Amino acid sequence: MSFHQGITAKPRPRITPDHQPLWDGFKQHKMMLPFCEDCGKPHLPPGPVCPHCFSDRLDWREVSGRGVVTTWVVVHKAWFPAFAEDIPYNVVQVELEEGPRITASLVGAGDQKLDVGQKVVAVFEPVDEDLTLLRFKPA
Amino acid sequence: MKINAAIVGVGASEFGRFLPDTQLRLAAKALKQALDDSGLEREDIDGLSMHMGWPLGLDYDQVADGLGLNIRYVNQAWTHGRFVTNTLQHAALAVSAGLANVVACVTAISFTRERDILGGPGDMEGYREGGGTHGESPTYGLTSPSGGAALSMQRYMKLYGGTSEKLAAVPIQIRQHALLNPDSVMKEELTLEKHQSSRMVVDPLHLFDCCLMTDGAIVTLVTTKERARDLKQKPVVFAGMQGIRSSRDEFIFAPPGLGIGQQPVTHVRSRPIDTEVFDKAGVTQKDVKGVYTYDAFSPLVLFVLERYGYCGEGEALDFVQNNGIGPGGRLPVNTNGGLLSEAHVAGWNHIREMTRQIRGTAGPRQIPNADVLQWGTVWGDSVILTAA
Repeated sequence: MSFHQGITAKPRPRITPDHQPLWDGFKQHKMMLPFCEDCGKPHLPPGPVCPHCFSDRLDWREVSGRGVVTTWVVVHKAWFPAFAEDIPYNVVQVELEEGPRITASLVGAGDQKLDVGQKVVAVFEPVDEDLTLLRFKPA
Repeated sequence: MKINAAIVGVGASEFGRFLPDTQLRLAAKALKQALDDSGLEREDIDGLSMHMGWPLGLDYDQVADGLGLNIRYVNQAWTHGRFVTNTLQHAALAVSAGLANVVACVTAISFTRERDILGGPGDMEGYREGGGTHGESPTYGLTSPSGGAALSMQRYMKLYGGTSEKLAAVPIQIRQHALLNPDSVMKEELTLEKHQSSRMVVDPLHLFDCCLMTDGAIVTLVTTKERARDLKQKPVVFAGMQGIRSSRDEFIFAPPGLGIGQQPVTHVRSRPIDTEVFDKAGVTQKDVKGVYTYDAFSPLVLFVLERYGYCGEGEALDFVQNNGIGPGGRLPVNTNGGLLSEAHVAGWNHIREMTRQIRGTAGPRQIPNADVLQWGTVWGDSVILTAA
């Protein structure tokens, strides 16, 4: 049997109310993070409370979009029909300057080998009017 | 409450790919064999601890109905590797507390029919609210548990050195164990050349760094030590347990401190919280004759050896070289052949093997004087099983 029920497009993100400001920020080509107004720390993934001090007082603020690659993979298996033409493609985790890490992919690296510690900066790739994806490029 | 529990019977169906049997038929075969192994009757079973259920398997009531069981205690976790230990631990807790006399731990898996759920468009785990727990990011094409293990291994290799060739020592030696086990699905030697020429799934993991997807069932029967003494087999005693660890220090397939997901970067090394199980059991690592672990991906074996203090920070790749974990090795790991080479029965094939080893019935795989064995996973949960 099959669970995928004929889905062939690239999966769209599942945007919950907690995540909405992050994706709204991407549409405006802004990297936004939820900061705690009590302990001051930002966090990801976006949650309903500060996971550090459990405060409800969160404030979304624009951040630099700069960070470093903390780990990376290259996908070789055609898991998704919609990604088959992209194989092999990378996925990276990036530690933002402000601390939290986020998963995306790296563009414009050319022949440069992916590496842990590589400095990168956010770029924004519109998919359609409802969705803009975060990517990173070498800084 | 002190833990008062022993494994008194194990039974299995055949293991294989595309088995025609339903999950319930596989479970029935395993239960019949476990009852025969233990000398218990079906009517003696009054507890179920299920390591299966939606979305990959039948739920407890369907199993009780189908196998004609009369149950007064149920624990159920769905078919996810993380829940093998607590399924076993719940059985031990239930008999210790008198909630049940005999608990059957049941897993029945038909992965080859349902493998679409494990990655790609059918990966409902990666696509649920809040996302998957393996670092899945379907929007960027990262899906399946293998992605999470690859994220961890890539960074581990950068921090501590290491190559795919060195990592290959794990699946190669676990295959050597498997070749001594007639139940193993994999029947041929795995050489370094075969490992390196196998297709890349998600860099840095080759095909042979990833476990099998198979079908099969295992039933493990647990009762009190007193009851166990009167039964057919030499009891296999729960000497110590520790639960799964969960916090922002943890990422499903990484040791604490590695810095995957939101883990703080500290040191990847054994901490007191990782080794409580030895104190509970009154043993040390030096007493352990063999380690059994959820080897869904070869890096997980490395992380487990470090987490439980068998070697230091970043030392596991060297530890496993030159038959560190193979047959007759310094510390045999997964002597059944593991998920990598025997079959994927969610780790219960390892529990079955530990039972055989402690009974002394593991045939050509027998570890000499296997009186203390550790089950310990990358999630920090562990059970030490001993001879009575």
